[in-house]
Amino acid sequence: MNASCAATLTRDTDHWVGRFVAMASPCEVLIDNGPSSLAQQVLNAVAAEAWRIERRFSRYRIDSAVHNINENAGCETVVDDECANLLDFAATLTRLSDGAFDITSGVLRKAWTFDGGEHVPSQLQLDALLESVGWHKVEWRRPILKLQRGMQIDLGGIGKEYAVDAAALLAERIAPGLSCLINFGGDVAVRNARQGGKQWRVGIENCTRMGAADRVVQLTRGALATSGDSRRFVFRGGHRYSHILDARTGWPVRNAPHSITVAADTCTQAGTITTLAMLQGENAEQMLRASGMRYWMQ
Amino acid sequence: MKKIPLFLVLLGLAGCAGVQPWERDVLARPEMSLDSAPLDAAIDDHIYFSKEASSGGRGFGGGGCGCN
Amino acid sequence: MKDNENLSAALAAATCALLGSAVTTPVAAQEEGSGSGWSFDSTLLYYGESDDRVRDISAAVAALRDFGDERKLSATLTADTLTGASASGAIALNRPQTFTSPSGRAVYTTAAGDVPLDDTFLDTRFALNASWTQPLARLYTFSAGVGFSTEYDYTHLGANLALARDFNKRNTTLSAGVAWSQDDVDPVGGRPLPLSQMLDVGNNGNKRGGGESKDVLDLLLGFTQVLNRTTVLRVNYSYSDSSGYLNDPYKLLSVVDPLTGDTLARAPIGQGPDGVYLFESRPDKRTKQSLYAEVKHAFGTPVMHLAYRYMTDDWGIDSNTLEVRLRWPLGAGYIEPQLRYYTQSAADFYRASLVSGAALPRYASADFRLGDFDATTIGIKYGHGTASGNEWSIRAEYYQQNGTVPREQIIGNQANREQYPDLSAIIVQFGYRFSL
Repeated sequence: MNASCAATLTRDTDHWVGRFVAMASPCEVLIDNGPSSLAQQVLNAVAAEAWRIERRFSRYRIDSAVHNINENAGCETVVDDECANLLDFAATLTRLSDGAFDITSGVLRKAWTFDGGEHVPSQLQLDALLESVGWHKVEWRRPILKLQRGMQIDLGGIGKEYAVDAAALLAERIAPGLSCLINFGGDVAVRNARQGGKQWRVGIENCTRMGAADRVVQLTRGALATSGDSRRFVFRGGHRYSHILDARTGWPVRNAPHSITVAADTCTQAGTITTLAMLQGENAEQMLRASGMRYWMQ
Repeated sequence: MKKIPLFLVLLGLAGCAGVQPWERDVLARPEMSLDSAPLDAAIDDHIYFSKEASSGGRGFGGGGCGCN
Repeated sequence: MKDNENLSAALAAATCALLGSAVTTPVAAQEEGSGSGWSFDSTLLYYGESDDRVRDISAAVAALRDFGDERKLSATLTADTLTGASASGAIALNRPQTFTSPSGRAVYTTAAGDVPLDDTFLDTRFALNASWTQPLARLYTFSAGVGFSTEYDYTHLGANLALARDFNKRNTTLSAGVAWSQDDVDPVGGRPLPLSQMLDVGNNGNKRGGGESKDVLDLLLGFTQVLNRTTVLRVNYSYSDSSGYLNDPYKLLSVVDPLTGDTLARAPIGQGPDGVYLFESRPDKRTKQSLYAEVKHAFGTPVMHLAYRYMTDDWGIDSNTLEVRLRWPLGAGYIEPQLRYYTQSAADFYRASLVSGAALPRYASADFRLGDFDATTIGIKYGHGTASGNEWSIRAEYYQQNGTVPREQIIGNQANREQYPDLSAIIVQFGYRFSL
């Protein structure tokens, strides 16, 4: 079923590069200088962890916990600890964003096609869908979850960053002290610094000028996450609407930055701040500055 | 004249060469920048300008002096 | 929206609960070349020629302010202290020679057998260059610069503008630039009339005061291309037009006997030259064109730099320059050997000496810098990065120039003496780069 269940290890100038595909993204693990057997071990563990998380929490996978939850909307389901942790975290984000971020907002996808065109759904269409959106409509008493009929949850907004952090922790358990940079499709984390004062250099692609000079960030340790519209947006009435929807209104955020990259202690924190800031639309920078975290905005 | 065919060669080169934005890892290294040591270059240019009959090429002369 | 000050704390706590571990590694991420946006490059240089010729000590500081959004401001301040002398253009003889100094108030002598050098001088020069770069539109970059330098007999003022456009996902860049400069020369003792004879002390009959100027216009067309992931190429075409006072007011030619090739003797009245020497004369216009190509290629970690330049002008000078540098990582730093090979042909009006009795040419110069010579530079640079991202470096080079005089210009006894004032110099440079 999974043609890309392969992880390859190659040698670059002074480090190892492991590559594989997971969560529909190119993934890589950069491992500081060391024996190839250890590098292979780390790569295998990281890839396995990425595939495990994808299998468990992707709404596309019929064997995933999320799919099971969605299929049983209207009934009670029991979830395991890891799933419960993610649901608790999502609930916190919904609270911190006053409901703008909501893992039940996935159904709104049916109304919007972000192809750069002008199509917007009617308010009638959105109102019908909004009936099935809202974390407050969910009964969540750990470990029992009950969605109302027609509701769906989607952990896509937090899954990748969580996977990066989980993989980074796993790599550290296997090879304590060894510097491994985990990069799942642009969400990056590294827990230990490289030997000899060297740095991992991460390029942040400049979105406004295609292929223009990337900023280069020297990441000693910590994480970077990026939220961006790339080419997914809608133009209407002189405003650009990015593909990030405000769960309260069903509408995308207006005039949000093209892309936000944040540096934080963990990828989860970095990713959350980028998402919450994007949801602020025009006021994104205000939130970024208040967060105290290092950010790059375009 | 030597210059015209060279111009065509360069245009042809531009069409088929290049990298994707995500392949710029090596090119992003500071030592790969064409102007990675501007002060060294300026000093060399100045020394050779004062001892030889040629100057520049890489950029603008950078300033005259009474040494030539 | 919740109180933002609590957002980070609430998020940190929630993440802790999610990941099930105390996340105790604080992030350390630094954008390259950021910080306050100021970075500095400083250097101290010693240049010393053999045979007590020119010695130069120079210090330079370059400041770069990167505003982050592709806008940059840079300024470089240089100070030079030059002592010593270069070959004046007069030929060596088997007897001592006496010349009037440029000021016209004293004489200086050259020992028998030695190549005559200018009167020893001490000159301090200050130069300031500044430039501004900014994006003009989505794919366009604009830059403008000014330059100023001053020394006791020379001032320079210049400005330049350039525009660059990117193509092809920024793999190709075309650029065009123009530079103007105006230089003012005010030679010590006044400007000598071209091809006038060097006179006795106190006689300024052939000198004119008031200074002279020289204007230069430069045009540059550039093409930069990324060839592949590890290689980048740059090709530049330059055109340069100088007009005005292009002579070197201190350079001479010896007038020699057509048979012996020795300088004609002369009896000074009081103090003065004991031979016949004429001041040089160059055209008042010079047009140069050059083609320059440069490649940088990474062989894994080591990086090679290869450059070639061809220059030709309407003075009859053609030159070829080939330069190669290879940068190898070494421990926490790098080592970079370098090699440069330069060759030029003589200017049409280059004359080793003037023959008495022959018609005086319109232009003539014995300046070794306009002659036929090869020059080689061999050097090595070592750089070391510090933990805070700064770098210090040391560079040592040896420069050797070997010239030849065309056979038909070697007359009589000149064949037995050093015909061309070959030059060799040692260059030592210390550098320190730091960011704030």
